[in-house]
Amino acid sequence: MDSWIQFGRGPLFRLAFALMLLGLLRIVVLTVVGVVEAYRRNEDKIINWREVARQTVGWMFPVGRLWRKRPVYGTISLLFHIGLIVVPLFLAAHVLLWKRFLGFAWGAIPQAVANNLTILVIATGLALFLGRVGHRAARALSRPQDYFWPLLLVVPFATGYVCSNAQIGAKTYQGLMLIHIYSADLIMLLIPFTKIAHCILAPLSQVVTAVAWKFPAGAGDRVATTLGYAGRPTWVVGSRLGTAPHHAAAAVAPAPASVTPKEQEVCSK
Amino acid sequence: MQPLTTEERARAFTSAKKADVLQKQRLPVRYHVEDFEIEDRPRRFLEAFASILKHTNYRMALDHYVRVSAKCSRCTANCQVYMATGDDRDIPCYRSELLLSVYRRHFTVSGVLRGRLLGDPGLTDEKIQEMAESFYNCTACRRCHFECPMGIDHGLVTHLGRYILSEIGIAPRALVVSTREQLTGATGNTSAIPVPALIDSLEFLSEEMQEEKGIDIPFPIDQEGAEYLFLPAVSDFIMEADTLMGNAAVFRATGDSWTVGTGYFDGINYGLFYSDQVLEHVVSKIRVEAERLKVKKILIGECGHASRSAKFFYPTFCGGRKALPVINIMEYTHQAWKEGRLKLRAGAITEPVTYHDPCNIARPGWIVEQPRELLKAFCSNYVEMTPNRRNNICCGGGGGTVSIDEIRPYRTLVGGKAKADQIRATGAKYCVAPCANCKKQLRELMEDQGIDCQIVGLHDLLYKAIVFD
Repeated sequence: MDSWIQFGRGPLFRLAFALMLLGLLRIVVLTVVGVVEAYRRNEDKIINWREVARQTVGWMFPVGRLWRKRPVYGTISLLFHIGLIVVPLFLAAHVLLWKRFLGFAWGAIPQAVANNLTILVIATGLALFLGRVGHRAARALSRPQDYFWPLLLVVPFATGYVCSNAQIGAKTYQGLMLIHIYSADLIMLLIPFTKIAHCILAPLSQVVTAVAWKFPAGAGDRVATTLGYAGRPTWVVGSRLGTAPHHAAAAVAPAPASVTPKEQEVCSK
Repeated sequence: MQPLTTEERARAFTSAKKADVLQKQRLPVRYHVEDFEIEDRPRRFLEAFASILKHTNYRMALDHYVRVSAKCSRCTANCQVYMATGDDRDIPCYRSELLLSVYRRHFTVSGVLRGRLLGDPGLTDEKIQEMAESFYNCTACRRCHFECPMGIDHGLVTHLGRYILSEIGIAPRALVVSTREQLTGATGNTSAIPVPALIDSLEFLSEEMQEEKGIDIPFPIDQEGAEYLFLPAVSDFIMEADTLMGNAAVFRATGDSWTVGTGYFDGINYGLFYSDQVLEHVVSKIRVEAERLKVKKILIGECGHASRSAKFFYPTFCGGRKALPVINIMEYTHQAWKEGRLKLRAGAITEPVTYHDPCNIARPGWIVEQPRELLKAFCSNYVEMTPNRRNNICCGGGGGTVSIDEIRPYRTLVGGKAKADQIRATGAKYCVAPCANCKKQLRELMEDQGIDCQIVGLHDLLYKAIVFD
């Protein structure tokens, strides 16, 4: 048992942690490259960076925003996220591990705070799960991973809490510690490949959206040409519109009318 | 808000007119579509999707959305369609997932492998039908974007979904027919107004104003080198005489040079609603006319989607930062009023007036305070609806759906339900809706919901308050 624990918090932890970092790095790089490529491809570089920054920061610290609609859900979700981020990084016992692993570390939070936060994560995690099961709209949207995640995230917190607070036998302690470590390793392994990728990607969403609303000039015609629709229109009878993009439109622009109203029979009004 | 009862639902989803192509195409949709053969729809959909991914930037956004979507269901609180129907299929995130799942299954490595392993057949005809219906039940108002912690823009996904569908021939008939006239027809505008009729009606309006105000208020036509090229929603020329007279009166008061071009005088751009190709070609028509008349700025009339498609897509397709500046008439009027070049008589309107923010200009925070300041300058009883400004509720006819007469019951019972409640609560006599689409929708809404409120443009009222020197 002991060697399993050692493996879980030694080599396996290092592997999981490295894969998590690499996985997250990969998706961040892919997203950033995608945005930069799109931005360069667009002729139109006018983007409201202020608004992008405002929305991004606003959602990174969503206090206030989450209260506007469905405040109970918003509060639960916010508390859950806070505990989820703070405890693994700043629990005193973890800080020691971080120091051993990284060679440096940071200050720990008091044990009592950590305990309360842990209980909070367990309670809010279960509440989120129940909310998802109980709320019809959420159920309609949910995939298996959406049910699975809150439960999985609660596991290391529950086991960790029992191990550090309850009077339990050595055997039970070891068993729980094993679950604690392996579930945490599993979480790290899964993060980059599941919706939890939002932990690193969500702050990029606003810029992605802003750039995506700028279209490359001439793309619509290139799409049609690729599809071989130049002669088989879907929305215009006869020839679609001429060939090239906006330059061609200049050539086929309607000639200015030189008629006077008196000379012409006025059509319907 | 109470969701629809079964009876209301039945009423909302009855088509006012049965489109003859529906039978042939086996679409459950109550309106849309061009006449086309339905062979091989899934294959053609995927080809169109692939081609669009290849030539545009959507892949970047889809990749990102697929990864971050957390299915938190917060968007339910902001969608007026979902609030009205209470139907799971109207949840913005559910709607986007229709397309995102196709993307995941057919255009990502993991999706393709998974599909092979599990023997998932992939996109089916039923799924296309579901998308065809769903993407046009959305009014593309983009209010849900504000409530998405993951920052997903369901409006963009809807936009893309409609674009792909249009490439395989599925698009609302009303939009397609108008666009066809605009791009290839003899009149070159969506309402098929011939130039002589345009000129005649503008002359008539000038005469009207001469009678009412006792001064000459012209509509300059084809003035080369004018400061502004004026492009209202073309339907204004036949439907919104009061708005146009207000526009002209403002220019008479400020003395700036402006012109209506006979080569092209239509601000409407339905491409924004269903096809990037149409969007670009229509924008190009503005450019051609602006270059012909050598104007310095492009001025869009009171119309939400026309303003957005010009303001945000004219630079996209016509040279980025070097493109001519685009402004909306309300911005112009507001500026002139602030500079003291336009005088308004305080208290000209005493009845309660409220203001409806058109999504396309309010959502980006572009035109929000300007019309309010103007209204407060001459209306003694201005009431605000809630929610308002950037967080306004769509009129229910957004995203081009207002043009589809076949779905009027849907628009007024489902899409516009929240708006009707809002307007009713203000008790206003006038509701100012500076948008051709919103006006049409809101008028039908007032009629169908039995609300006594007159829907007007901003310049309709402003016309009554202008003081000429």
